[in-house]
Order: sequence, then structure tokens, then C-alpha cells
Amino acid sequence: MIRFDYEEPRTLAEASAVLKAHAGRASVLAGGTDLLVEIKEHLRRVHCVVNIKRIPGLDAVTFDAATGLRFGALTTARRIELDADVARHHPGLRQATRELGSIQVRHRATVVGNVCRASPSADTLPPLIADGAVIEIGNGTSTREMLLEDFFTGPGKTALQPGELVLAIRLPPAPARTGRIYIKHGRRRAMELATVGVAVSITLDEARICTKARIALGAVAATPIRARDSEAALEGRVVDATIIAHAADLAMAASRPISNVRASAAYRREMVSVLTRRALEQALATIP
Amino acid sequence: MSFDVIGRSVKRNDVVEKITGSARYAGDVRLPGMLYARTLRSNMAHATIRSIDTSRALALPGVKAVLTHENVPRVLHYGSPHPRSASLAQDQYILDNKVRYWGECVAAVAAISEEIAEEALELIDVVYDPLPVMATIEAALAAGATPIHDVGPGGNLVAPPIKVRRGDIERGFAEADLVIEGEYEGGRPTPAYMEPNVCVCHWEHTGEHNSAASDRSGDKLTVHISTQTAFMVRGILAEVLGLPLNQVRVIVDHMGGGFGAKQDLFQSEFLCALLSRETRRPVMLEYTRKETFLGGRSRHPVKIWLKQGFKRDGTLTARQARVVFNSGAYGSHGPGVTAVGTTAMTSLYRCENIELEGMCVYTNAPIAGAFRGYGVVQTYYALDIQMDEAAEQLGIDPALLKRKNAVRAGDLAPSGHPLVGHGLEDCIDRGMQEVNWPKTRTHQRSSDGARRFGWGIGCEMHGSSAYPGIKEQGNAIVKLNEDGTAVLLTGTAGLGTGAHTALAQIVAEELGIPFERVSVMHGDTDTVPWDIGAFASHTTYMGGRAAQMAATEVKRQLLERAAEKLEVAAEELELRKGIISVRGTDIHLSVAEALGVARGQPAAHLVGSATYTPTKSYSFGAHFAEVAVDVETGHIEVLQVTPVHEVGRVIHPLAAAGQVEGGIQQGIGHTLSENYEIDPVTGKSLNAGFVDYKMPLSMDMPPIHTILLETAPDPGGPWGAKGIGEDPIIAIGPAIANAVHNAIGVRFRHYPITPEDVLNALRAQKTEVA
Ligand SMILES: Cc1cc2nc3c(=O)[nH]c(=O)nc-3n(C[C@H](O)[C@H](O)[C@H](O)COP(=O)(O)OP(=O)(O)OC[C@H]3O[C@@H](n4cnc5c(N)ncnc54)[C@H](O)[C@@H]3O)c2cc1C
Repeated sequence: MIRFDYEEPRTLAEASAVLKAHAGRASVLAGGTDLLVEIKEHLRRVHCVVNIKRIPGLDAVTFDAATGLRFGALTTARRIELDADVARHHPGLRQATRELGSIQVRHRATVVGNVCRASPSADTLPPLIADGAVIEIGNGTSTREMLLEDFFTGPGKTALQPGELVLAIRLPPAPARTGRIYIKHGRRRAMELATVGVAVSITLDEARICTKARIALGAVAATPIRARDSEAALEGRVVDATIIAHAADLAMAASRPISNVRASAAYRREMVSVLTRRALEQALATIP
Repeated sequence: MSFDVIGRSVKRNDVVEKITGSARYAGDVRLPGMLYARTLRSNMAHATIRSIDTSRALALPGVKAVLTHENVPRVLHYGSPHPRSASLAQDQYILDNKVRYWGECVAAVAAISEEIAEEALELIDVVYDPLPVMATIEAALAAGATPIHDVGPGGNLVAPPIKVRRGDIERGFAEADLVIEGEYEGGRPTPAYMEPNVCVCHWEHTGEHNSAASDRSGDKLTVHISTQTAFMVRGILAEVLGLPLNQVRVIVDHMGGGFGAKQDLFQSEFLCALLSRETRRPVMLEYTRKETFLGGRSRHPVKIWLKQGFKRDGTLTARQARVVFNSGAYGSHGPGVTAVGTTAMTSLYRCENIELEGMCVYTNAPIAGAFRGYGVVQTYYALDIQMDEAAEQLGIDPALLKRKNAVRAGDLAPSGHPLVGHGLEDCIDRGMQEVNWPKTRTHQRSSDGARRFGWGIGCEMHGSSAYPGIKEQGNAIVKLNEDGTAVLLTGTAGLGTGAHTALAQIVAEELGIPFERVSVMHGDTDTVPWDIGAFASHTTYMGGRAAQMAATEVKRQLLERAAEKLEVAAEELELRKGIISVRGTDIHLSVAEALGVARGQPAAHLVGSATYTPTKSYSFGAHFAEVAVDVETGHIEVLQVTPVHEVGRVIHPLAAAGQVEGGIQQGIGHTLSENYEIDPVTGKSLNAGFVDYKMPLSMDMPPIHTILLETAPDPGGPWGAKGIGEDPIIAIGPAIANAVHNAIGVRFRHYPITPEDVLNALRAQKTEVA
């Protein structure tokens, strides 16, 4: 029998107090689509499950042209998938949520849960990182924030300290003339874990010179990573096929995938190149 | 011939139960005081058990019994309990002091909850003495390899090799203008039925002498189980546990699929029964999804060497093949699969000079068993792909080459019978028409970015019934009630295919009453007639014919009675839509009027009983598939399939088409992504679950334009009907592989064809050209 305590705090302070009291052996429950599977499959031992769904206000989604998009910890993947502002400004993120699990799963799963699970193959992480997401963290008394790309410390590991939980994620507004794409690579159209995920956010000026490029890769390292060399190769240049191919190869060089029953490391590396190239081409095609 | 009930997609007789969730499956059974059992599985692929200590598990509060090889009867038995069949191997014990594959069951616990039973498993201490692991065919056949069993012919063979010879093979090759030779390999797909294996056993001790443990005269064992073969389960439980048949009752209500695999016993049924005997309480034993992989049954992995000779005009002159099936740790259906799969190569494409050898090998791998297509999926994959290759080399269109060599009326079928009709030619012709072949193939869509397009054709035939491996028998009883309704009693299981609906249609049609007036009673070995099980595509063919014959008998009785009432000869009567009328007059009466309670007279007791002993019929199919291959990612997508199946007579069009679509979905999976992988060194299972065992899902399915033909009815089946269950999974594989060749010029001779395989082959192709 799997025994654990179960708490339903009504405030953030209460939640943090419970988390702190169990010193790292308590788990936040949001949608539960990761947590409950891990508990049932004996992948995680928990002393206490802390359901945060009774805390008011955590599911708010706001958009402001000046400050961008902010969504709370209880915002579901389905909510993001159907949000008009997300579709307009963060099409990569929208695509990631469209392909996460199934409709049923997306109705329960939260994007913040996807982030906090910190799986290297999690779908929303590459587009969030490419779009410059900032994560807001609270411990009941104070809050801090950091760039999402710095949040991940290893497979399943994050920068969260005992007593802390994630409150929200913020995405800065997209500059004009920005193209954004997420490509998930797998065998199936739904209910699939990414063997490789590539997100691109690229901004061009009127002369089609790249002013900013962000490329984030999933499932090819212990955490999602940015392909910084590829970004540097693109920025300040008129992007043509040669540069795209070069950037794609640099992304491949940045990846450190593993071999497992899903795919070999060599295949994953090759896909990073192919998909980075495709993502760049598709993103550029959306910029008039 | 005009029909009132068959040939129509009537509303399935179980549809409301299924949709409302009231349908009862074995896993829904809850009996008072029921315990829950779990099994401990080995984490070694080959070892003897030095010691097994259950004392800590027994001490856990809530644990009621623990069984190991030390306290269960040691009876050598068949893994699949068909009566005295040559198809099966007798090599299993309920529990042995040796494990032969990773995940074999070594102990079972019954406790008051599933969680406690699970916890108790961790408290069982097993010490193994490892033996060399031979997880592959090569390792098991190597000189000096450790024998996995001490039964069987030795050399790690499950059974003596099968040899088939016809004509003169040397002369055949000497006459050939073209000889093609190739090696083919098949992976390990599993049936992945929706409902995991489950049984609930209740061993009651009601006799007077139940104090004496050895006296079982008053005992009764009731088993609720998800099985395709209720009477076989009853037979082997009775045999191994030492009970007469009338003290074992097996009940199967609804089932969530089986695909052939649920003909076997899985150790757990015996253990569940024994746990119930020991605890004197009902016990439920249900597999987790993972256990359906570990302890379930897969298709036999295979290696095939095939060589054929052709005349310049495409005539086949010789066929020689060596087929080696990997049975895994136990024989199960290995001998049957080897026989059926190997002898299937005598047919499909006619050839007079044939030499075939089929072997089945024990390895320290999961058990392969019966699975939709039964060895033929493997051998026809090789045969059909090689025909495609021959067509390419001879410069003949592949569909025309296959049509030219297609077996036809009078040719000897693998069963040794002359074939009826021209089913295969009809399927090819109709499919060519439907997809506008060969134009559609020679004028491919032009490539789009990295996508290349191609069309392929695959052909198949498959027998209904397991004859001659098993001499089968279909039984049925039809009872007519005094209000004109009827009940069919059948022993055949409803796997979820809608078979009971088809049987009820047959009874209604034959009797001449509306479909809604026929109900079906099934799945209780104490009440329904003996049945061999639902497998070998024979339920509608054989069970249907038996039902039709029983209905004929009842109808005869009914018309006799009506004739008396109407004072005419029975021959003058006809019965349709529930009305008995005197031919050529407007004199009529309803069935209820003919039967009903009359003043001072009881209702009639009309019962028809029939047995049908079939030989075999063959159904045919040709699949035309279009694929797209992404040459940068290696991803193969099936874009559309036009399957044409000749089935003699369609009883329920929607259900038949459902079989076709399901077979294609499974076949696409087997060809492109499904493979239960085993570490070749340790024998450890690598993807025992749905996260990494990749079946195509509904969103991955292409459009399927199913066409059903009735051009070669079989004299044995009801109104000519033949089987459709297994056929649809066979031709889709080669159709895809041939389409991939058409798209990118790479010839794959194995499955599954993974994206990495595609990229590697394209690289090799490039170096060859350079
Ligand atoms: C059938 C199925 C299919 C799936 N398919 C996909 C897929 O295609 N792609 C994909 O990326 N994922 C997939 N997943 C995984 C999962 O659904 C996602 O990761 C989901 O976004 C997790 O969100 P959740 O709200 O359910 O998280 P939970 O399970 O509730 O939590 C996940 C983890 O995050 C922690 N956590 C949650 N919220 C907070 C918070 N506010 N502060 C601190 N910690 C927190 C929890 O303690 C836990 O460790 C699938 C899961 C299932 C069951």
C-alpha cells in the first residue's frame, strides 16, 4: 500500500509551510498527470501530496501588449492551446500544447507542471525558452524570478528550494517581424513523447537581417538547451539557405543525446539538424 | 438469393451494454470475501532457483497464502490446451524450479488487497543460480548450447522440423531464367489487447467429506475469465488439478480482445485456482499492462531464407525456403505456427516445384504464441516482397505478376484441399480497377520537399478453421420459445468482434424470424454446448454453420406443428419475417400462433441441436497502399489503403469492415513501429508498456476504402461465408514494404522498418551509386 499524507492548503503561505515541513519529501499536485503516474509506478516516494488547486487565483491568464503574457501555475495546457493571444504571439508554445498527450490529458495537465517535472523531453519547455520565458517562484513570504532556461538543473531537477513553488510564467511581448515554430519529432500524431523537440524564435528587420534568434532543443541533453552557437551564426546576418544549414549543423553539435529504445543518439543528433533547418525555414516563411 | 437479415449491418446485440458500461467483464466480478492475487516475476532470463523463502511475505498482515514451485502440483502440461493437438507443445509446469525467460512467474500471493499482495512480493527472497542466456535463435542453435528444456526433440527445437516437398526442385531452378534469393526477418509485435488477462477463481468445498484434503468429491471450481477457449481452460484445469469436468465451471461474459493469444494458459489461472483452494475464498488475479508484455504472448520472431525461380514471362518454376520461428521460452503454439506458416508457402502463388523447411526454436525470450495470422503474416511477408522484387527484375507490373501466378480453383491449398473459386484473382482485379492501377503507380505524385510517394500491392489468403492441425467441431443449440422468439446457445467466445451478432443473424435468417427475436446465450461451460474456442477465423464459418443447422432443425419442427394446425403438408409452408404461410394462398399464421399455449395444451418444446465438422475454407485479400517517405527523417506514413477481401458471403458488413480496418491498423503497427524488444545478451525486456511499445492510434490511421467480395462462396460456410478475422493483418505488411520500394527504391526485407533503417538504407544506396 502506498501511504502518504494529503494536504489541501488554501493559501500560498500554508502550502509553503507544508512543503517546508516535509523538507523535500512533499510534492505539489497540480494536474497530477505526471505525479500520480510516478507514484503509482513506484518511480517516486512521497511523504505528502500537496494539492494546490484550492489556492485562489493560480489559474489566471492575462495579456498586455506592453508586458506580455502571464499565466498562473494552474493554467492547463488546453487553456493555452485555445488562447487567442498565445496563438498570435507564441505559436510555438501553442503548437507544443496542441501536441501534448491527448485532449483528455491536456484538460488536466498544467504547463507549469510540465515545467516543474523538468523532463528533458517535455514539450512546452523549448518554445517557452525560445520565447524568453521568466518563471515566478514563491515561498509563502517572498517571491523571486529567473529566466526559465536557468531553472533546469538536470533530468527531473529544478532550481526550486524546499518550501518554494512556482506561481506563474511570464512571456515578454514578441517583437514585430518574429517567426516562431515548435517541431516535435516522434512516431505518432498524439500520445507521443518527443524524441527530439526544436523551438525557434527568430526576428528579422525590414532588410531581412536577423536581429534576434533563439533556438531551444528538447530531448537531446539532460535539460532543454539553447543552441547558442546557432543563434550567434544567425544574428546580424541575412538569413539564407547556407546560413540556415550552418546553424542547423551547429545545433546538432550542441546536442548531447542518449541512446535508448526510442532512438539512437546518432539518429537524434541527425534529427536536430534536419528539424532545426525546417523550423528556421518555416519560421522565416511566416515573416512577410 | 434474397435475404432478410444477413448482409445487413443490424444493430449489434451487445451495443447498449457496451456503450452504457453495463457489460460485465471478468475484471468487474466482485465476490464476497474476495482476495487479490499478484505474481512475482523473475529478473533473470535463465536460471535455476536455489532457494525461495516466503516467510517474510507470509508474516505480512493481510497476506493469506503464498505459492511457489515447492507447494503447487508438478504436472507437465500444454501451454495451450487444445485437445490432443499436434499444434502444441507439452512443456510447462504451473511453477518450476527453473526460470526460462525474464519475467516468468515464480510465486503468487493472495491478500486482502492488491496493494498488500504487491507489497508481499517484495518480501519473497529468491536466490537464483544463473544459467547461460540464449535470447536469440543463433544462440539457442549454436553447437553445445545449453538445452532450455529436457522435453522435445533436443537441440533447443520445440518440435521436429517440418519438411514439405513437391515436384522436383532442382529441375525447377534449372528451368528458371531468373533466380532470386533473399533473407527476411520479422520482429516481435504483441497483440496488446485492451483488456489485460484476468481471472476470478472460486473453489468451493461443499461436499460432506471436505475435511479430508484429498477428497474433492464435493468441490466446485468456478472460474470467471477472459479467454477465447473456455472449454479448453475447463479441460486443462480439470486435468492438472485433478477434478472431473462437471466440477469445473468456466464463465466468460464480455471480453476486451484476445487476437489469438488468449487461447493459452498463463500460469496465473492455475495459481488463482490453487490460491482459492488454499484460502477457501474467491481470488482475483489481474495482470498489469506490463505483465501482459512480460507474461503474455507475442507473434513469433522469424528468420526466413527464400529462393525462387521464374521464367522470363513471370511463371514460377521453383520455390525453396527455410523458416526459423523463435518460440521463446515455451512451445505454446510453436509447432502449429510453424506448420501453418511454412505450409502456407506452398500456396498463394502457384508453383509446382517446392521444397520448404520450418523449424521452431526455444530461446530465453518471452513466449510467442497464437496471434492473428498464425505464422502466415511472417512467411507471406517474405513471399510477397520477393514477388515484388521479381516483378521489378522481370520488368512486369507487380500486380499483374501476382495475378498471373495467383492460386485458383482446383489448385491444392496448404490444407491439401482443392481451392474453390478465383478469390485472389478477383481481389487483385477489383483493387486494380478501384485505384486505377497501374497508372496510379507509374504516375506517382511528384515528390514534395523531402517526401517521396509510392504505391504497393500485397496479397494473402488464409484458412478458416485450424484443420488439418486440429480436427474441429462447431456446436449449437437453438430453442424456440412459445412467443416466437428464439435463443441460440453457443460455446463460442465473443472477443469483441460482434461474432454473437453474426450468429444471431444467421439463426434469424434461417428460421425466418426478425433479428431482434433472437438472443444469444454463451460463455458458461455448464450450460452451453461444448466449443473448441474462438480462433482460426472460424466463428462465423463453423459456429455459424452449426447455428444455421440447429435453426434448420427447429424450423422443421415448427413447420410440422404448423402444418398440423393448418391441415396442410409441411412442404407447402414457408416462413419469412415471423409469418408462416401456405404457399400460393393467403392463409398464414405467426410463429407464436403456431407454437403458443392453446386451450388446455402446454406450449411446444422445440429444440434444435447441431454439430458441424468442417474441413477448411480459404479467404483471399489484396491490399493496395500508398505511402509517403520522408527521406530526411526516415518517417514512413501510410496515406491510404484499399483493401479488397473475398469472404464468400458477408453476414454483417460493418463488422466485417471493422475486422479489416483493425487488421490494417495492427498491420501498420507491426510493419512500422511495434516491436517488443529484448536485450539479446541478458534477455531483459526493454519496452514492456505503452510508452515505448508504439501502436498507431486513431489519429495515425489513413483513410481505408474497404471492398468486400462474395465471388467464391465456400460450400461449407453459412450461405458460403468464410472467415475474415485474420486475413486483414497479412497483406498490409508487404503492401507497405513494396510501396516504400516504389517510393525510394530501397528494398526492405524485415519488419518493423524504423526511421533509422530508412536513413541508413538511403545512405547505403547513395554510396552504392557514388
Ligand atoms: C497519457 C499522458 C500523455 C502525456 N503526454 C505528454 C506529452 O506529449 N508531452 C509532454 O511534455 N508531457 C506529456 N505528459 C506528461 C504530463 O502530462 C505533462 O508533463 C503535464 O504538463 C504535467 O502537468 P500536471 O499539471 O499534470 O503536473 P503534476 O503531475 O501535477 O506535477 C508534475 C510535477 O511538477 C510539480 N509541480 C506542479 N505544479 C507545481 C508548482 N506550481 N510548483 C512546484 N512544483 C509543481 C509536481 O510536484 C510534480 O513533480 C503526458 C502524461 C500522460 C499521463
